[in-house]
Amino acid sequence: MLGKTDKSAVGFVVAALVFFFIGGILTTVVPPLVDKSWSKPFENNDPSKGPTGKLVQYTPEQLKGRAIYVREGCWYCHTQQTRTLLSDVKRSGWKGVDSPISTPDEFVYDSPHMFGTKRTGPDLSRVGGKYDTQWHRTHFRNPRDLTPGSVMPPFPWIVDNPEEFTALVAYIQTLGRSKNWRPDNDYEK
Amino acid sequence: MPGQQQVSAARPYGGPGSISPVESIHEDTTAKWFMLSAITYFFIVGIIALTIAAKFVWPQLLGTVSVLTYGRLRPLHVNGMLFGWLLAADMGLAYYIVPRLCGVKLWSEKLGVATAVIWNIIVLGAVVALPLGYNKGWEYGELPLPLTALVVVAWVMFGANIFGTIATRKYEQMYVSLWYIMGTVLWTAFVYLTGNVAVYFTTGVNQANLNWMYVHNAVGLIFTPIGLALAYYFIPKASNTPLYSHKLSMVGFWALAFVYVWTGAHHMLHGPISQWLQTIAITFSLMLLIPVWTVVYNFFATMKGQWYQLRENVPLKFLMSGVVFYLLTCFQGPMHSLRSVNAIVSKTDWIPGHAHMAVLGAFSFFAIAGCYYAIPRLFRTELHSAPLANWSYWFLMIGGLGFFVTLWLGGFWQGWQWNNPSIPFIDTVRALKPVWTVRFFSGILMFLGITTFLYNIMATVLGAGSSHETAARPISA
Repeated sequence: MLGKTDKSAVGFVVAALVFFFIGGILTTVVPPLVDKSWSKPFENNDPSKGPTGKLVQYTPEQLKGRAIYVREGCWYCHTQQTRTLLSDVKRSGWKGVDSPISTPDEFVYDSPHMFGTKRTGPDLSRVGGKYDTQWHRTHFRNPRDLTPGSVMPPFPWIVDNPEEFTALVAYIQTLGRSKNWRPDNDYEK
Repeated sequence: MPGQQQVSAARPYGGPGSISPVESIHEDTTAKWFMLSAITYFFIVGIIALTIAAKFVWPQLLGTVSVLTYGRLRPLHVNGMLFGWLLAADMGLAYYIVPRLCGVKLWSEKLGVATAVIWNIIVLGAVVALPLGYNKGWEYGELPLPLTALVVVAWVMFGANIFGTIATRKYEQMYVSLWYIMGTVLWTAFVYLTGNVAVYFTTGVNQANLNWMYVHNAVGLIFTPIGLALAYYFIPKASNTPLYSHKLSMVGFWALAFVYVWTGAHHMLHGPISQWLQTIAITFSLMLLIPVWTVVYNFFATMKGQWYQLRENVPLKFLMSGVVFYLLTCFQGPMHSLRSVNAIVSKTDWIPGHAHMAVLGAFSFFAIAGCYYAIPRLFRTELHSAPLANWSYWFLMIGGLGFFVTLWLGGFWQGWQWNNPSIPFIDTVRALKPVWTVRFFSGILMFLGITTFLYNIMATVLGAGSSHETAARPISA
């Protein structure tokens, strides 16, 4: 079949599309049909099966904050996935308690997804609840005031806009909170 | 076999070193517009690239201006380089190559010029929209919806012109560059729609899977095939040597067509995506070595006995360095997809080192070589300055190597540090400061290379009209 495709443009087009669609369909359309956890929101009431909790839809304010996160390109430098690596579980942990790994059912309401590809700054998949509003205000105004050596840009136009700042912090505080994993000595508990 | 491959490689070409009568049928307005605007954007977006590299060294730089913050400029750098420079240059060179390989005029020069106008609107629209924060939030799919729609329209117009030309061709047998260009037209359409339209109907991991299918195949099924089309055309042309094997080029092409599309999930190894899908992506990523090594073998075998030409021939220098970078980047890729290696290099600064070697080192080098080769011929003149072209090569080569190698070393080191959770994250940031400083200064060298490239091309074009006697003179390679 392929021997003639260098003479027949029609034969070429058919073969090129068939080759492409075999892999294309098997890796994009089929997986969500096979793995239901991709679309079923996380919910667990049985402690013996791991962390309990329930994934809930974002509030309008949190969605507004999420849109700011997208707009400012936070996702170019911060991933949102605690991978199945020991170091990720430790680094996403808090006050000596390891974080649970990220699972597909925790991200069902995310669009655009914010998994990210690059960690210029730390992963944020479990950052929710770790730092209070005042910390975020100082940090967004100038990250180096709290973390010397940081290369994160300052965001004065967000801090100076109370509506945007409150929304962004509201979104950040949701990250990784669907699973109840946080330590007992956390200031929020 | 050798007889046949010599014929198929040599036939589409006019007589070496002169404008054949066939050459005079080509109008080439579209090719000129695409190439010249692409090279201009290469320079302009280069300024953005330097700015964001500087922000790693001086994080306060321009920091209080929202439209100039890192998160707004990075998508402009990525989209500007991918769509404004590289894809536009590739399309311009396709408008140059396809009519010549078919022995006929471009199907519609008017349609081509209209495509060039739309393409410029897209790029200029991105220059305004992205810094203002109009970002869809998908990597490589940042462009706002109206611009996305224009990309689709422009691509259909480009495809109609390419297939229209091929349908009216004089030569029955299609040279390998034509397959790669046709493949690019077809696959890009579906890959682009997946990453920019299908994502709207999904969320979470499902959406990420589609996004990464697009991101990976933007490189694998857009820039790779059109870049290889250029290499397959310009390596034999620039060295005046027939391609080693037509049959081998066919093996490489169909292997690429089958294997590439499976690998998107390797961007989420160890992440929240099904393990079996990760394993499929790893398997096919390793199989990528087959098309890559087939293609590279063909190029090296073509150059057998011709390597001495690299001393004087600047387009050939860019082409063969690009082939070496292609070989290296496509060795790195499959290796990154191994779970053990991925646990170290994924998400680190190694990855931009790898990505820049693919997009700048391999595919931009092919496009630069094509521009250096084609533009003097398009304007019926000689290149303004061969020594300056050589300087642009060395600036880009040394700057590029400085960029790639320091980021690999730094990224690998960073990955090792991350895997030791007792090292605070901020210490791994501070440790990278020297790496980012070297990257910035390497970027300055690369930018000098781009500047000399732009100057040389523009001086060639502007000088072409002023010296009429050169028009009749034969062109030497």
